[in-house]
Amino acid sequence: MRRKPKTSFWRGVDRTLNHVYAACGYAAACFLVTIGLLVCASIVTRLFSVYVPGLTEYSGYAMAAASFLALAYTFQHNGHIRVDMIIGKTRGRVRRAFELWTLFVASLACLYLAWHLGRLVYVSWRFEERSEGADAILIWLPQSLALLGGVALAVCVVHRFVKTLACKERHG
Amino acid sequence: MDELTLTLFFIAVLFLFLGSGVWVAVSLLAVAAIGMMLFTDRPVGDAMTTTIWGASSSWTLTALPLFVWMGEILFRTRLSEDLFRGLVPLTRRLPGGLLHVNVAGCAIFAAISGSSAATVATVGKMSIPELRKRRYPERMINGTLAGAGTLGLLIPPSITLIIYGVAVNESIAKLFVAGVLPGIMLAALFMGYVAIWSIARGKRGDRDAPGDDEPPESARGALKDVALLLPVILLIGTVMGSIYTGLATATEAAVLGVGGGLLLSFMQGSLTRETFMQSLLGATRTSAMIAFILAGSTFLSLTMGFTGLPRGLANWIATLDLAPFVLLGALMVFYIILGCFLDGISAVVLTMAVIEPMVRQAGIDMIWFGIFVVVVVEMAQITPPIGFNLFVLQGMTGNDMGFIARAALPMFLIMILAVAILTFFPRIATFLPELMAQRT
Repeated sequence: MRRKPKTSFWRGVDRTLNHVYAACGYAAACFLVTIGLLVCASIVTRLFSVYVPGLTEYSGYAMAAASFLALAYTFQHNGHIRVDMIIGKTRGRVRRAFELWTLFVASLACLYLAWHLGRLVYVSWRFEERSEGADAILIWLPQSLALLGGVALAVCVVHRFVKTLACKERHG
Repeated sequence: MDELTLTLFFIAVLFLFLGSGVWVAVSLLAVAAIGMMLFTDRPVGDAMTTTIWGASSSWTLTALPLFVWMGEILFRTRLSEDLFRGLVPLTRRLPGGLLHVNVAGCAIFAAISGSSAATVATVGKMSIPELRKRRYPERMINGTLAGAGTLGLLIPPSITLIIYGVAVNESIAKLFVAGVLPGIMLAALFMGYVAIWSIARGKRGDRDAPGDDEPPESARGALKDVALLLPVILLIGTVMGSIYTGLATATEAAVLGVGGGLLLSFMQGSLTRETFMQSLLGATRTSAMIAFILAGSTFLSLTMGFTGLPRGLANWIATLDLAPFVLLGALMVFYIILGCFLDGISAVVLTMAVIEPMVRQAGIDMIWFGIFVVVVVEMAQITPPIGFNLFVLQGMTGNDMGFIARAALPMFLIMILAVAILTFFPRIATFLPELMAQRT
């Protein structure tokens, strides 16, 4: 699949981006552990009948952060599922056309998502929106983690699209 | 264009995207966005991100990555060996012998893992070579594994039930508790089939029932082997017990499960830095994949609401005045066909927006319906051309798809029987949740 890009500059970009996706994945894993710790905290505080406001909201934010930050990393590992009944049977040129089509659709959709996540964060920041839960924190803070993940995914999908487009002789 | 044409166009685009191999989550997002543009004048992007943010930052969803993680941890322990050795002394004297290990092993592993592919892989890793060595028929080895693997999604914790609960806004704890008895019933039906098969074979005088040439075992040795099952049973008891008694929510029980899994893995000596990281990253990827699909489907549900399709369909079904079991029969066929192309989770999230109003309209209990959907969607996982259990088995046994699918056919029929029993005796699913509701 992977063909080395022509110049060392592009090779460097390729490698750096891959590190970025992996870093996002590791950050997501940390948030997954955080969910576990927050839930532990809520169990323990309940046992001692102490009420800490906002614990459930914080685990919700950690959930969103874990999901979004891992999107690009999961994409790199081919972890997102697709119906490969037709595409799996194709070879060579047809396969390449299919891949380009799916990557094209995915690039558009992910760019659209990332852009509007940006707008979501901007609006929350601009109007200083606060969470409706007991935590009442500024909502753009957790939302910007989702934005970060969304942007990483968009970059990752476009990255794969460009790369597939660039290495035509391999398949053609 | 009138509304009907638009709706048809909308559905055609969805199938074009899905069919051409666009990632499921991306297809749902893109189609939902296109649909919003067609049907409303509302700002599409803002509606999309608000919906997605709401759905992905929900506290209910946190049970998902934790249960996935628990399964990933236990998948990397010596659990499959322990299960096999512990179950052999218990099953060897039954008609059908060690084939019961496949069913019982799957049932037990299903109670700690929410995925049926992982269940098949874990149990099969140990039992396939051992059963082959003892000359059990290949067809039965494959068939029982494929069938019993489906228990992975029915017996809680179950990823599909979590997704279903989030999609229709029902209590995950109740859904889990509802899955227990139907799961045990299905396992019993599978084991009954194995026993009858073995007795019938003995009557025909083909040859000795397999398992008779098993070397005898001392009572003490057998007891020691059975004791290997204890830690797992204890873990299952803790997780399910805490949910059932209302001591813990599904998420809290999942944390207990992760903790218990780590402890078990530590005591076995299989907990290393590497297995820990692998399990954590594996869980991160799987839950991101599912959360992305769920985000897409929530947005699609919003769009579906604007098309008027769910309401229209619900009203149309209401005017037909069908008997509930006719409606359920039709839904069963629908899900089996859909499951030929989609995996279980996608099939559930994709259809719930349309199916939910219809089912509520018909006065069907949503907890019960969750169990029904899981069994039906699981049936599709052992039918070609897309059946995840079949893929896993193909990879593990080297047999071709057609052979495995034929071997699994009796199990498929048994599952239809189970759905029929569940339809005519719905209390099998609703009894325990009702009991639970009375206690709290």
